[in-house]
Amino acid sequence: MASVSQRIDARTQELAFPRHRGRNILLTLGGLLALVIILWFLEGLGSSKLNQALALFAIWGVATVSLNLVNGTLGILSLGHHGFMLIGGYTTGLLILSETARDRILSSGRSSMNETTLGLSLSRGLDLIGLDALTTPETLWIRFVIAVLVGGVVAAIAGLIVGIPSLRLRGDYLAIVTFGFGEIIRLSASTRIFAPLTNGALGLPGIPSEFGKSVWWTFGFLAITVFIISKLKYSSYGRAMEGIREDEIAAEAMGVNLAYHKVLGFAISAFFAGIAGGLWVSWLGGVRLDFFLFTLTFFFLVALSAGGTGSITGVLLGTALVVFVRQYGDPLEETYALATWLIIAGVTLLLAAAATYLYRTFQRQRPRMHPAVYGLGIVGLIAVLVGWLAPNLGILDGTFRGFGMRAIFLSVLLIVIMIFRPEGIVGRREFNWGALFGERPDQPTDEERKQDAWLSNAQLNRPGGAAAAEAVAEVQAEVPGKPLLETGDEPVEAEDK
Amino acid sequence: MGAVLAIIIGRMVYLNGINDRFGTAYFGRAFIESLKLGSLYALIALGYTMVYGIIRLINFAHGEVFMVGAFLTYFLFTLSPYPWYVALLYSVFIAYGFMRILEFFRGNLRDPVVLGGGALMLMFATFMLSTQTVNLIIALVFSMLLTGVLGILIDRVAYAPLRTAPRNSLLITAIAVSFFLQNFGLLVFTNRQTPFRPDTLITNPLTIGGISSNWLLVAIPVITAILVVALTMFVTRTRLGKAMRASAQDAETAQMMGVSVNRVIATTFLLGSMLAAAGGAMWGLNFGSLNQPAVMGILPGIKAFAAAVIGGIGSLPGAVIGAMVIGFSENFLTAVFPRTNNFLGITEFKDTFAFILLIIVLLIRPSGIVGEDLSEKV
Repeated sequence: MASVSQRIDARTQELAFPRHRGRNILLTLGGLLALVIILWFLEGLGSSKLNQALALFAIWGVATVSLNLVNGTLGILSLGHHGFMLIGGYTTGLLILSETARDRILSSGRSSMNETTLGLSLSRGLDLIGLDALTTPETLWIRFVIAVLVGGVVAAIAGLIVGIPSLRLRGDYLAIVTFGFGEIIRLSASTRIFAPLTNGALGLPGIPSEFGKSVWWTFGFLAITVFIISKLKYSSYGRAMEGIREDEIAAEAMGVNLAYHKVLGFAISAFFAGIAGGLWVSWLGGVRLDFFLFTLTFFFLVALSAGGTGSITGVLLGTALVVFVRQYGDPLEETYALATWLIIAGVTLLLAAAATYLYRTFQRQRPRMHPAVYGLGIVGLIAVLVGWLAPNLGILDGTFRGFGMRAIFLSVLLIVIMIFRPEGIVGRREFNWGALFGERPDQPTDEERKQDAWLSNAQLNRPGGAAAAEAVAEVQAEVPGKPLLETGDEPVEAEDK
Repeated sequence: MGAVLAIIIGRMVYLNGINDRFGTAYFGRAFIESLKLGSLYALIALGYTMVYGIIRLINFAHGEVFMVGAFLTYFLFTLSPYPWYVALLYSVFIAYGFMRILEFFRGNLRDPVVLGGGALMLMFATFMLSTQTVNLIIALVFSMLLTGVLGILIDRVAYAPLRTAPRNSLLITAIAVSFFLQNFGLLVFTNRQTPFRPDTLITNPLTIGGISSNWLLVAIPVITAILVVALTMFVTRTRLGKAMRASAQDAETAQMMGVSVNRVIATTFLLGSMLAAAGGAMWGLNFGSLNQPAVMGILPGIKAFAAAVIGGIGSLPGAVIGAMVIGFSENFLTAVFPRTNNFLGITEFKDTFAFILLIIVLLIRPSGIVGEDLSEKV
C-alpha cells in the first residue's frame, strides 16, 4: 500500500508528464513541418504583397505574444509596448547601419549625429575585438541576429527601469504610467540628449530589409518567442503570474512575490518587444520616430482582445486578423462617390440592427425590438434610400476618400468585441492536440479520481481503505461533484474511538 | 514644495542679475502664459476627474472630445451660414444638449419649460446657423452643446453596456473610442494643421504692464474661472449635483436611495465634454491653429489626466490645482531655466514634465494633492 506522499509523487509525475506526451511531440513536429511546407508554398507563389503580410504577421506576432505576457498572463494593462519596440528598433538600426549609410548621414549637413555615435557599429566593434570574419557581407545575418538580441536586451533594461518604480501602482494608474513612459520614450528620442543616437526626426535610413521581409527569419523568431513564452506560461513563474492576475492579495498570501514576478514579466515582455522592434525596422527598411506611434500598441490591443487576452493561440489569431485588415484593407481607403459611402454606411447600420436583434433573441432579452434596433434600422434604411436615389435627385454629387477607414474599422471592431464578447474569440483556452482527439482535459480519468479521493480523504489511507477509495471514485464518476464524505453510512471518525 | 519655490526664486534673482532681458516683463509674461495654459488644462482635467469620480474610468477619449470641440467651434464659426437642412441637423443636437442643461433645474426632460426651451433653442439655432456667420461666442456655445451631446452619446453607445464589466475592458473600450474619434476627425474634418486666427474682439492686441499680447490673455483665465464657478455651483447647489456627489461616494447606495445613476453619468459626460469643448476652442485660439485631428487631443488630454491625478482624482478643486501645477511647470519652469550662454535650457523636455510629475506623485502620494485615500480594499 503506497503512502500518501508516494501518491502525491505519482500525481506530480502525471502532471509533469501528461498522457500522450510522445504523441503530442510528434504531432507538434509534424505541425511545424506542415507549417514550413505551407510557408514554402506561399513564398513560392511569388507575391511580394503576400510575403510582406506573412512577415508582418510574424513580426507583430512576436510583439503581441510578448504583450500578452503582461496584459494576459500578468493581468496588467500595459500601453507602452511601442516605446520598448522603439528602443529595440533604434538599437538594432544603429548597430547594423551600413557604412555607406553612415557616410551619407555624416556628410549631410542636417544630421544630429556625430563621429562617436556613428561609430557605434557592430561590424566595427567585431573588427576591434578580432572577429573580423564576422564583418563580411556574407555574415550580415550573424550581425543582424546579434543586433536584434542586443536591441532586446536594451529594451529589457528599459523595461526594468520603467517597471521597478511603476509596478507598485495598481490597475488603471499603471496603464496610464506605461502609456506615459511609452510617450516619454518617443518624445525624448528626438531631444538633444538622444538625437545623436537617433538622428532626431530624420531617423536612420537604409537598414537591410532582407531579414525583416523574409518569411523564414521572421517566422523563426516567432517560433522561438512562442516556445519560450509558452514554456514560461506553464512554469511556476507563469502560474504565479496567473495567480497575480486572478487576485493579487490572495497570491501574495500564498507566498508569491508580487513585485518580483511583475518586474520579471515586464522585463521579459520588453525584451521580446525589443526583438519585435528590431525586426520591424528591418521590415520597414529604416528607422523613424513615426514608425513607433501609439497606433502600434493600439493594433496589438485589438489583436489581443479579438483573439483572446491570455491565450497565445488566440493572440496569434487576432494578430492575423489585424495584419489582414492592415495589409489588405486598401479598398476601404479609396475614393468613392458620396452616395456609395452613404449606402455603405446604411448597410452597416442595417447589419448592426439585425445583429442587435439576433443578439437580443439569443440572449433572451426582451423586448427584442429594442429602440436601438428601430433606431439603427430606420437611420440605415433612410441612408440606403437617400444614397440610392441621390444620383437621380441630383444631390450629394462629389467623391470622398476613406482616409483612415481601416483604423476606424478596427476601433469599431474593438468596441463591439468589448461589448459583446470581451473574452475574445477563443477566450483563455489554448490550442492542444488532445482536444482534437476528443480528450477532455477538464475531466479527470478514473485513476485520477481515485487518487483525488485518496488525497482529499486522509481517513481512507489506512488498511481496508483502498476498497473505500474505489467506491468513492465510482460514486464520483456517476454523480460528479457529489461530496466524498457522504458516501459512508456513518461518520468515519466514529470508528476510531 | 518650499525647496522648489526657493530654487525658482533663486534662479529668478540669478537670471535678473546676469541679463537685463530677464526682468519683470519676462517673468510676468511667463506667469500669465502659465496661468493661461493651466486654465486650459483645468478645463480638460475637470472632465477626467468627474468621470473618474463616478464610474472609475480613465476616459481616454476625453482628449479627442476636446479635439472635436475645437473643430466644431472652428467649423461653426468659419463655415456658417449653412444650408437650412444642415443647420437643422446641427440644431436638433444643440437643442437636445440645451434641454439636458435645462433639466438640471426642472428635474425632468418632459417638463414643459424644458420642452419649450428646447423648441426655442431649435428655432434660434436653425435661424442663426442658416442665415448668418455666427460670432465666436455663439459658435463656442453651440459647439459646447454639440460636444456635450457627443459625450452623452459616447457613454450610451460604448461605456453603458460595460457598467458591470472588468475595469480593464472599460479602459480598452475607452482607448478604442479615442482611436475612433481621432481617425473619424481625420476623415471628416481635415488631415492637416488648420490655422484659426479669427479677427474678432478677443484676438485684438492688448498690452498690460509691458506685456504685449491679445485679449485672450485675460479672456482664457476669466472664462475658465466663470465655467469652474458655474460647475461648482451646479455640483453643490442643485439636486442633480447632490445626486452626482452621492453617486461618486457610492453609486450602489445612491441608486438604492432613488438616484438615477445613469442620468447622473450622462450629466457628468455632458458637463465634462462641454468644458473640454470650451478648452479646445480656446486652445485653438491661443495657439492660432488647430493641430491635425489625429494628434491634437493626445498630448493635452493625457497631460490633463496627469493634472487630475496630481491634484487628486475625483476632486474638482484638485483638478484645477493639478492643472495649474502642470501649466506652471511647463511654462514658468522653462522660463526660469532658459537658454543662456552656458546652459541649453529645458524647453524641449517640457512635454515630459507632466508624466514625470505624474509618476512622482503616484509613487509618493497616490491620492494626489487634495484627494482622499483611494487604496484598494480587499
